[in-house]
Amino acid sequence: MARALILFAHPCEESFSSILHRTVLDGLQQRGWEVDDCDLYAEGFNPVLSAAERRGYHDTATNTAPVADHVARLQAAQGLVMVFPVWNYGYPAILKGYFDRVFLPGVSFKLDNGKVSPALKNFTKVAVVTTYGGTRFKSFLAGDPPRTLIKRTLRGLTWPAPLDFMALYDMNNVGDSERRAFQARVAQRMAAF
Amino acid sequence: MKALVIHCHPRPGSFNAAIRDLVLAKLTAAGAEVRLRDLYAEGFQPVLTPDEWSGYLDSPANRAPVERHCADVQWCDTLIFVYPTWWYGLPAMLKGWLDRVLLPDVAFLMPDATSKIIRPGLQHITRLGVFTTCGASWWLTRLIGAPGRRQLVRGVGLLCAPRHTRVFAAHYLMDTSTPASRSRHLARVAARMDRLIGRRIAVPLPQQMETT
Repeated sequence: MARALILFAHPCEESFSSILHRTVLDGLQQRGWEVDDCDLYAEGFNPVLSAAERRGYHDTATNTAPVADHVARLQAAQGLVMVFPVWNYGYPAILKGYFDRVFLPGVSFKLDNGKVSPALKNFTKVAVVTTYGGTRFKSFLAGDPPRTLIKRTLRGLTWPAPLDFMALYDMNNVGDSERRAFQARVAQRMAAF
Repeated sequence: MKALVIHCHPRPGSFNAAIRDLVLAKLTAAGAEVRLRDLYAEGFQPVLTPDEWSGYLDSPANRAPVERHCADVQWCDTLIFVYPTWWYGLPAMLKGWLDRVLLPDVAFLMPDATSKIIRPGLQHITRLGVFTTCGASWWLTRLIGAPGRRQLVRGVGLLCAPRHTRVFAAHYLMDTSTPASRSRHLARVAARMDRLIGRRIAVPLPQQMETT
């Protein structure tokens, strides 16, 4: 059975992000994926790259040691689904730290004589489910950093896996019906994941 | 002039520390009051907790866990960030500072009966400086969209005074930097600081040999 890794980052159970997380989890299981549900807050993930990790960052023989478990989980999966809210035009810090500490040289990319090549060849499907406080237009004015990060960096690292980016903007003003519609869209995409 | 400098790098002797020292020297020589917050040195906790999220909109109680940082932000008229760029973005430590400190009624006003949109709350900040180092090239960073730069220069910039002065400088391709390229970069930072302050301030460039 194919494995899917969910990366979820939200502190509170009562949040809309948690509902989306549950929707993704149910959808993947019904689709027949064996799911590794990584809830970064619940697992108490430490996002701070330490001085020792910074010093050893490029030593691919030893750099994975502090996060070996997360690296193994990332490499064991064929599907990847990220669920998180956008805060301040970016990932929540706990998720940003996952990239800083787990997406290491030799894990997510390879450096050979200064040339970078993608290394997450294990993924066949990637999806991102997120919510923004800002409107699409205002996020566009700010350059929409999460969208570009996902669509350019993550897509590059997991190339050629198809990537599905689902975002609900303007969370502070949309009503129940928009939230339900978005949740239904996520459920539908997961049913076909 | 009241300057808040947010520094974020795990190693005390890093090239980023040299940039920070130059920034501080410029500010001090210009007669500014300066507050330096070194997030790694103080062991800042970047993870927004469940309680903080539940109470996010409940001002002024929401600022209690990070009161000192909120007071800094409201005190300053000049805000400067010095950090390395990781994954095209801010280190998690610095991203968490934004998440936890730039709160409703501190940095912005939430939509209410009088306004449907989020309104800026940092209009007392008239100068914004962003200094970073990137492993990637200028071209690759631009292709990805420079997310870290945009989070600060545009995201935080949108909250500041409408016509604030903003400066940005990055040393790209940090992994193949040389003492000469780093010295050139320090000279660039010095020039940007002069523009931020509004006049030429003569200070010696820091001596540095570290590469990151």
